[in-house]
Amino acid sequence: MSPAITAVGAYAPRFRISAEAFREAWGQFQASGISEKAVPAADEDALTMAYEAGRRALEAADLEGEGVDWLAFASSRPPLAEEDLSARLRAMLAVPRTATDHVFTGSTRAGTRALWAGMDALEAARAERVLVVAADAPRGEPDDGVDHAAGAGAAAFVLERDGPATITDRAEYGAPYPGTRFRESGRETTEGLGVTGYDRAAFTETIGGAVAGLEADPDPDAAAIQAPDGKLPYRAAGAAGVSTDAIQASATVHDLGDLGAASVPVTLARALADGHRSVLAVSHGSGAGADALVVERSDEVSASVDLEVGDSLSYAEYLRQRGVITSGPPAGGGAYVSLPSWKRSLPQRYRLEAGRCPDCGSLAFPPEGACPDCGSLTEYESTPLSRTGTLEAATTISQGGAPPEFAPLQSRAGDYAAVIVAFGAANGDGVARVPAMGTDAAPEAFGAGAPVEATIRRLYTQEGVTRYGFKVRPVSE
Amino acid sequence: MREAYLVGAGQSSYGAFPEESYRSLFRTAFEATAESVPKGLEPDEIDEAVVGTLGVGGRQLGLSGPAVTEHVGLHGVPCTRVENACAASGYAVRQAVQAVRSGMADVVLAGGFEVMSDTSADATKYWLGVSGETEWERLSGTTFSGTYAQMASVHMREYGTTREQLSRVAVKNHANGAKNPHAQLGFECSLEDAESAPVVADPLTLYHCCPTSDGAACALIASEDVVSEYTDDPIRVAGVGAGSDRVGLFQREDYASIPASQRAAEAAYEMAGVGPDDVDFAEVHDCFSIAELLAYEDLGFCERGEAGELVESGYTELEGDLPVNTSGGLKSKGHPIGATGAGQVVEAFKQLSGTAGDRQVEGASRGLTHNVGGSGGAAVVHVFERAGAADSSTGVDA
Repeated sequence: MSPAITAVGAYAPRFRISAEAFREAWGQFQASGISEKAVPAADEDALTMAYEAGRRALEAADLEGEGVDWLAFASSRPPLAEEDLSARLRAMLAVPRTATDHVFTGSTRAGTRALWAGMDALEAARAERVLVVAADAPRGEPDDGVDHAAGAGAAAFVLERDGPATITDRAEYGAPYPGTRFRESGRETTEGLGVTGYDRAAFTETIGGAVAGLEADPDPDAAAIQAPDGKLPYRAAGAAGVSTDAIQASATVHDLGDLGAASVPVTLARALADGHRSVLAVSHGSGAGADALVVERSDEVSASVDLEVGDSLSYAEYLRQRGVITSGPPAGGGAYVSLPSWKRSLPQRYRLEAGRCPDCGSLAFPPEGACPDCGSLTEYESTPLSRTGTLEAATTISQGGAPPEFAPLQSRAGDYAAVIVAFGAANGDGVARVPAMGTDAAPEAFGAGAPVEATIRRLYTQEGVTRYGFKVRPVSE
Repeated sequence: MREAYLVGAGQSSYGAFPEESYRSLFRTAFEATAESVPKGLEPDEIDEAVVGTLGVGGRQLGLSGPAVTEHVGLHGVPCTRVENACAASGYAVRQAVQAVRSGMADVVLAGGFEVMSDTSADATKYWLGVSGETEWERLSGTTFSGTYAQMASVHMREYGTTREQLSRVAVKNHANGAKNPHAQLGFECSLEDAESAPVVADPLTLYHCCPTSDGAACALIASEDVVSEYTDDPIRVAGVGAGSDRVGLFQREDYASIPASQRAAEAAYEMAGVGPDDVDFAEVHDCFSIAELLAYEDLGFCERGEAGELVESGYTELEGDLPVNTSGGLKSKGHPIGATGAGQVVEAFKQLSGTAGDRQVEGASRGLTHNVGGSGGAAVVHVFERAGAADSSTGVDA
């Protein structure tokens, strides 16, 4: 039995910065073969991008999270070094508590390691439907090649035992190459010693080794090769036994940058969405090791892979969005929302769960306290809201006017819209009104009456703990 | 039930006073109150005290009521702190009236204070945040200015209210505040000043927002049994009304009004047996200029949607038919949260006792105060009238 990919989703943040902007700022650009790259917004990180890609994959598969029984989250740079973030991702995507979940990290190979483990689970009949999400946003020091290359993106795959894109072959290879790419404990940034020949040897040996381990010589239409920059994958063409045309066919590095652990997954997702029949996917991980996967497509794969939208940033705006040139949160206190209080509200913040009054049928958000309509104090029935709604009231919170929790975000991302949205019940019966912050568009885009959709973003960080929750963005009509 | 009377009221100046403490500010207000009582007041005649405050420079004190009453020598007098955000001392006055009417006390001191200028701008924002809906509204990035801006945007959309009309509230209140020696921002502002000021939360500019303030204010309420010991020209507390609501704007049915104000006004008018046409002046809660426009409608000074035109017409100017915020309002006089409601009563007392100086409303015999907590989670309205003025009322229903 060979597991198959039944649906894919991919996501890239809306911001782009060009190589030219780096050249203007630094006099040079150290990431060859990259013309522009994706930049995560101030309220995005690997976890929120994983949510975006995961949601897209589920929608492509016409599934709800409850249909998944095995979940993986992969990132070389998860927002926390220690904490099982798959638990948060599971809650955001409404994957059942009984599902198995895993976090994969530690190298840029984590995305394919997660696919590998998901395949194992299916083959061992320990899972029926697997969701693998790889998301990454590497960072380097502002003046180095890692940062110049560092992009952002995420891909998610629904895997089942049968489907339109079978993973027919796989092999792995590991060899110690210390110092090729690493991130020290407690450091925000990834680095490499830049020993050119040594780095290249690590790259080609592991990729060649993994491909050599495949049962058959691959002859793919498209090759998704790990891309720390826009040049290295082509240097590994010989080792991988593929043409540079096959690498170029669906490459993401040139316009999205180095996607770290999501590099091969996003490229694979694009290749499948592009309709390629045969794809060779080969990752390379810091350390070093590689995974090679052969995907043969016999039928169309449901895909939600839109990586094109982009708003250009100047280099100064880039530094602002990254928080490089902003101060931290303000001191003070008052009206602090404790973590236990926050935790109680997660079904609302992650999944927009409202409550229906069993006595009069009206909706309450949040679902607590007396019914807003009839005053009944009975227990609400949990009722999910539709993730699309209509703006009823809006304002723009201008610079310096944000509540203290949001001061760091505002200083990074600028003015934002604060709105009230009417969301209908998912089953169409009733409306609940919810306050929300706007994201992904300028505040002017949030006019009353405009349709919006909810997504999950970073809200604020307090005491080292980032609170994630829904925000809204305009929906193009 | 017994009648209750307003026999004195006084306040400190509002502003930033680094040399003053919350206690010294309260002392200033207390002494001004005692001096305002026509026949004088001996502290030992006070049976009870009710004090409104949110906090002291961002600190919360457990016994902030007794802390100020002991400071002015009211040892042993029962003192309660009430807290309803910006409506704290409006509610303190209401509690004083209740105590007098119930017969539990004959002379009650109602007051409030706040110190807001001694914390950093960041810490002040934390502190102000406690008065809103915290878990959802504030954590969706909204401040008070943002919430009122949302109300303004809806009012503008539904009724065609303009930003210029919002600015006219500021222009009017600054004109009045310039005549008030206690005002924090006692200078005039032009329409252009208000229009060109930086935007705080669209559509509200800096001039559409009140300042943060230090200050204290007190009012003395006496029963019908003892009122003649204090004055020969008593001011009756004709009507009291209060209402509360969902704390978050998003939880209310209507974003372009403050239902708690409507409930409070309805109750106060009914008790007083008068209607909005029967008041000669009003002190209304104008923490943001849209709040004053909403108050016109919620208090029945005009129909829904007509507040913008009302302010534009000059109806609510000092020389107009119904002068509103003769003190300068929160906008110009200042908004020391806990003192605000009592401070409005101070202006009502001055107007009704004919001591309002340059801003005196001629022939004022009945006035209204309107104090809102948060963005409308609580509201309280009082109708005061000079004894004998009841005869001139038309008894129109609210």
